[in-house]
Amino acid sequence: MSFLGGARSSTSAGGLNNDKIEMAITELDTITDFFNRMVSSCHAKCVGTRYAEGDLNKGEMVCIDRCVAKYNEVQKKVGEKIQSRGAAGNASG
Amino acid sequence: MNGSNFPGLVPLFPDGKEPLPQGVPEDERDAYNQMKKTERFMTMASESCGFKTVLAGGGGFAIGAFFSLMSASFAYEDPLVRQQHATLKTTQKAREVFREMGRGMWSSGKGFGKVGALFAGIECVIESYRAKNDIYNSVASGFLAGGILARNSGPKAAFGGGMAFAAFSAAIDMFLRRETPDED
Repeated sequence: MSFLGGARSSTSAGGLNNDKIEMAITELDTITDFFNRMVSSCHAKCVGTRYAEGDLNKGEMVCIDRCVAKYNEVQKKVGEKIQSRGAAGNASG
Repeated sequence: MNGSNFPGLVPLFPDGKEPLPQGVPEDERDAYNQMKKTERFMTMASESCGFKTVLAGGGGFAIGAFFSLMSASFAYEDPLVRQQHATLKTTQKAREVFREMGRGMWSSGKGFGKVGALFAGIECVIESYRAKNDIYNSVASGFLAGGILARNSGPKAAFGGGMAFAAFSAAIDMFLRRETPDED
C-alpha cells in the first residue's frame, strides 16, 4: 500500500520533508478513497433497501464480513501487480 | 481534518491517540478500552448462532411448560383421575397433583424446546452460509426441522412433517415481514 520509495536527497532538510509529506498525503488520499469505495460497494451488495429494523441481520453481517475481506484481498493483489509493473517499467526504461 | 464530524474522511489517528468520548478523562483510557472490548465481545456472543439456539430452546421450553400448566388444571377435572386420587389424604393428593403437573410440564417443555432450538439453530446456520436475509431461510429450516422431528415415523411421514412445518414457518415469516403502514 505504501508508495514510499527510496529517499530522494534534497539540498535542504525542508525539501526532503516536503517529499515525504507529499507521499504521505497521497497515501492518505488513496486510503480514504479505498475506504469510501469499499463502504459504498459492500453496502450496495449486502444491505437490503427495505429498512425493517435498525440492526444488521445475521445474513447482512456475514455478507459484509466477506465483502470487506474480498475487497482487501483484491486491493492487495492489484497493488502488487501495479508495483511489479511499475518496477518493470522503471527497470526497462 | 481527521475527525468524526467530517463525513467521507477516514478516521485515522496515531496509535493510542484516538479521541475519547465527551466525559472520559485521559487517564481512564485503558479502562475505557477494556470496557469497549468487553462490550464488543458481549455483542458478538449475543449475535452468534449458538446463543440464538440456546435462547430459542429456552423460550420453547418455557412456552411448553406454560401450555402444559394451563392444560393440567383442565386435566384434573377428569372424573377418572379424581377417582384415582379419592383414597388419598389431602396433602398426598396435592403432592400427587403437583408431581403429575411437573412431569407434564417437563415433557411438554422438552418437546417445544427441541422444536424451537432445532428451528432457530438450522435457520441461523443456513443464513450464515447464504449471507442473505430472506424468507427461504425460514422455509428450508422449517422443512429440515420438521423432517428431523418426524424422523422415527418413516420417510413419507418425515417428508410430510417437513412440508407442514415449512408451510407453517413460511406463513409466520410472511406475517412478520409484512409491509406495515407508515407511521407518519
